[in-house]
Amino acid sequence: MPSWPDFEPFIVSGLALGGVYALSGVGMVVLYQATGVVYLAFGAVGAMGALIAWSLINDAHAPGWVGWLVCVAFGAVVTLGYGMVFGPALAKRDPLVKAVATLGLTLVLFGLMDLLWTTNGGQSRAITLPTDGGGFMIGQIQVNWTQVIGLGAGIAITVVTGAFLRYTKLGTAMRAMANDREITATLGVPVRRVEAAAWLGCGVLAGVAGILLADLVALDATTLTFLVISSLAAALIARLRSIVLTFAAAIVIGLVHDLLTPITSLTNYRDMTPFVLAAVALLVLSRGRVLSRSREEM
Amino acid sequence: MADTAVRTARPRPRPPLPRPGTGTVVRAGVAAALLLFALFGLPQLLSLYYIDSMTQVAVWSMAALGLGVLVGRVGLVSLGQVAVLAIGAWVAARLLFATTQPYPLVLVEAGLITMLIGTLIGLPALRLRGLYLALITLMLAGAITVVLATANFPNGGHGFFGYNGSLVHIPPIRRPGLAGTDPAYFRYSVVVAALMFLLVLAHIRTRPGRAWAAMRQSEPAALAAGINTWFYKLWALALASFITGVAGGVLAGADHYLYSIDFPTYYSITLLAVVLMGGAYSLWGALVAGLLWQLLPSLLQNWGVSADWLTILFGVGVLQVLTTAPAGLADQVPKDLARLGRLLRGLAPRRTP
Amino acid sequence: MVGKRKHTSGVRWTLTAVAVAGILAAAGCGSSGTSSSTPSSSGTKAPSTGAVSTSQCGTKPGVTATGTPIPLGVIVTNQPGTSFTDISNMAAAYFACVNANGGIKGHPIKYYIETEQTNPAQIAADAKQLVQTDHVVGIVGNTSIIECSIDSSYWQKLGYDIIDSGIAPECYSTPNSAAVNMGPRYSSDGAVQYALSQHVSKIVFDQSNVPGTGYIAAGPSALAAAAHVPITQLTENVPISDADSVAIKEVDDAGPNGAVVLNFTPPEALVILQAAQKLGLEDRVKLWGCSTPCNTDFLATSLGPKWNSKLFVNAELTPPDVTTTSTMMLYQAILKQYGKAVSGGIGSFSQMGFTEAEIAVHALETINGPYTVASVNAAFRGVTNFNTGMLCQAWTYGTYPMHIPNNEDYTVTPDNGKMVTAQGCTQISSVDPQIKAYRAAAGTAPLAG
Repeated sequence: MPSWPDFEPFIVSGLALGGVYALSGVGMVVLYQATGVVYLAFGAVGAMGALIAWSLINDAHAPGWVGWLVCVAFGAVVTLGYGMVFGPALAKRDPLVKAVATLGLTLVLFGLMDLLWTTNGGQSRAITLPTDGGGFMIGQIQVNWTQVIGLGAGIAITVVTGAFLRYTKLGTAMRAMANDREITATLGVPVRRVEAAAWLGCGVLAGVAGILLADLVALDATTLTFLVISSLAAALIARLRSIVLTFAAAIVIGLVHDLLTPITSLTNYRDMTPFVLAAVALLVLSRGRVLSRSREEM
Repeated sequence: MADTAVRTARPRPRPPLPRPGTGTVVRAGVAAALLLFALFGLPQLLSLYYIDSMTQVAVWSMAALGLGVLVGRVGLVSLGQVAVLAIGAWVAARLLFATTQPYPLVLVEAGLITMLIGTLIGLPALRLRGLYLALITLMLAGAITVVLATANFPNGGHGFFGYNGSLVHIPPIRRPGLAGTDPAYFRYSVVVAALMFLLVLAHIRTRPGRAWAAMRQSEPAALAAGINTWFYKLWALALASFITGVAGGVLAGADHYLYSIDFPTYYSITLLAVVLMGGAYSLWGALVAGLLWQLLPSLLQNWGVSADWLTILFGVGVLQVLTTAPAGLADQVPKDLARLGRLLRGLAPRRTP
Repeated sequence: MVGKRKHTSGVRWTLTAVAVAGILAAAGCGSSGTSSSTPSSSGTKAPSTGAVSTSQCGTKPGVTATGTPIPLGVIVTNQPGTSFTDISNMAAAYFACVNANGGIKGHPIKYYIETEQTNPAQIAADAKQLVQTDHVVGIVGNTSIIECSIDSSYWQKLGYDIIDSGIAPECYSTPNSAAVNMGPRYSSDGAVQYALSQHVSKIVFDQSNVPGTGYIAAGPSALAAAAHVPITQLTENVPISDADSVAIKEVDDAGPNGAVVLNFTPPEALVILQAAQKLGLEDRVKLWGCSTPCNTDFLATSLGPKWNSKLFVNAELTPPDVTTTSTMMLYQAILKQYGKAVSGGIGSFSQMGFTEAEIAVHALETINGPYTVASVNAAFRGVTNFNTGMLCQAWTYGTYPMHIPNNEDYTVTPDNGKMVTAQGCTQISSVDPQIKAYRAAAGTAPLAG
């Protein structure tokens, strides 16, 4: 069994990893609270935006900030487009149906990404942010500013959107719409506009997360698209309800995952951490409570 | 006295047996014809390249069938069915290496063990509904994928896991004695698939099928009518796991070599996509799903088209199915053809008497 | 309700039409590299680069071959994250050059390329397609994570002797596969060997968890054991999503006088090395090593100057930058004129494709008479001490129970954005039992002149 100094550096890397999971996890729960849709295409949209940014920076030699802005804009446009076309079409359906529909979008984007940015035998793509260089030491480990921004962005999104959804009129309207579109419409809320605002905001989140994750993890379509599966674990632990709990769960998952690394008997299984924790949280801790929000079946 | 007793005791004329409707007869006929064509016609017509693809179609049709039972009959969306297939393949491979049992026995054992594992793992998940159930299956699939990546598939080694990482020559997983060649194994897999389809058909026509239909209509009403919904959900889960386990066994023999990289978590997502496109409710839909998943890529490869277009097609297909044609292609194509027929008839010049 | 129906059916038809149109368009355009057709050669010859004209690839400069084609086949992996199409595309470019300059005694080579996505059934089917439908007489250029394992017995039964760039164990342990590269095990041997030569006190060998890890690990383990240096064997699931913890783990285990040796595909290796740099760990071990996939200028550029003489990469092929032999010039000329489909440009993948095609053409030119499976594969087996211009040693196929014809390598290190030679041709040690077995059967090939 490794000793405490062996675990120390993994606390720092674990927090950084938790920040990564938190970005997608919190983003998805925010979307769910605002639109009633578990936006499983969150990762794919961000990944494609990051690849577009990469192409602009590397092939068109555009300055970095132009690339990042385009990434965020791409996320906003695609998400808004999806929301406006498929939001009303699926509005009356079960949340499960709406979530599976976003899987359709995921597959489309995933195929497009591999088609347009072909896997090149020797080369790999990378996004670098100016904040990658500097940093500070915690113990023996160097922490760079991008990681701090990643964690900070997670905290900021948690706090700001939590407050927005709870305390502002628009936020309350979003939550009401996610709960029941018909009744909200009859109450006089401009449903289309609120919906558009929700999707737009979510798209911006996806774009921002896309750039940060492309830098923090890897600029690889498969990795970024299906990172949502691990981030989903954090969202599920919070039962898709609490943004703060999602953030906390993501941090815990990241910490546990990395703290398992030095334990030789478990290290190869550490990638199971998000899934096992989510399963335990949902299946064991919610014993006796029936979790459902079903309306019309598929 | 005896006469009247005999007269009154004459048995009442029995009502005629219900004759199967024309639709059922036609469908059964078509299915039988297709089966015979697949068994005897295809191996003559197709090159080995396509025979190998069609074997995969048979395997994945079974997997789609299992998923269709869950999604179409009971409304349980599983995003982890490929992990179940992997478990079935693992069990079959382990048994095939470790024992000399006949192949059909290994298939049944693989099915039963997978059924046991699938039911045990799925049991606590049944408490969840809808979205949460689907997402928890995704989580479970992710966990199983990691375990398989670390434990690896059996390759002739010893010990429980049967994996020897240092081999320079990996032995192939054996096939049944009678069905060693590719065309013979293709026929074998078609027969097994047909049996699985019949198994599901038998369920649908009897009590479980009626219970599932009632639960689909309205679960509270079914409960009120005294149907033990939890039990029938479990039965569906067991059936789906069994079929998928058998499919995994057939896959083991088809592939000869199994690798964990062939069962990534996101395949479960694409499997759901093709099942939805084919039609989760109809048995034909499972066959369509298998063809979409395995035959189309082979065709595209031959035509020089990238497989990515297929991924995009599946994504579009999911969106299309969910928004406009919930019953999938198997239900929609006959309707579309009928519509086309009506359109053509309408266009035909009308003859005035 | 009717209006809604119209709207939804409109959406449905639009979506279906879009999908169908997309597929038809794609089928029409096709994607180069996966179509099975005679590789196209440019009509007019571009002016030669350097002192070498591409016409040197063939025996009759400028004469287009018009006889009956000689069909050859190849199976390469092409899936998201791993693509070896550069290898087959470069071989196709070489064949195109030959076809434009006399062919093989007037016969053009028709090169059938099958791609696969690491699916055993698909790989087996691809082999059957090549044999039964395309009627290929030889297989040149196979590069796949698992193809050698899947198809080895099929090729053996039919009498094909494969010239490939091997990865799976069977590429190096069967009588009918001879590779131009060293593959993960022997390339890792080379990297570990270099680290041992720098007198490190511990080796941490980390590799990706793809099929064959035990087989690959056995080589470095044997080398470390013979040198009495402890070695830790690690594997990582790929793609890596937590490079930070991987880097920390490796560095902690190796210690300040240890070496971390990696065996990953380039993107994954880069991710780990960059994580180590971001965490400030690159100087916490004595040196870092990497098997051949790291040998790209791209990696050198991405890593930056902190890794100069810190990272030592095993190079299976002669570094193209520092060599000006006529073969290297020819390679670059063919790449420029015929290699539009080779996206990676100059690098080990295109070098491997060039070398495999070069060997095949050399063998084919020795055939007098019909080009059948028997004659072509006998010619392949007959290649003896051929100087490819791309390897340390002369290359031999021969009739042996196993083949590791490339068993001598360079070590390179990044130097401000480029890979430069750190150690010249060095033999892989016979301490590795497989190398020992091969040398016992085939001897040691002479250095290429």
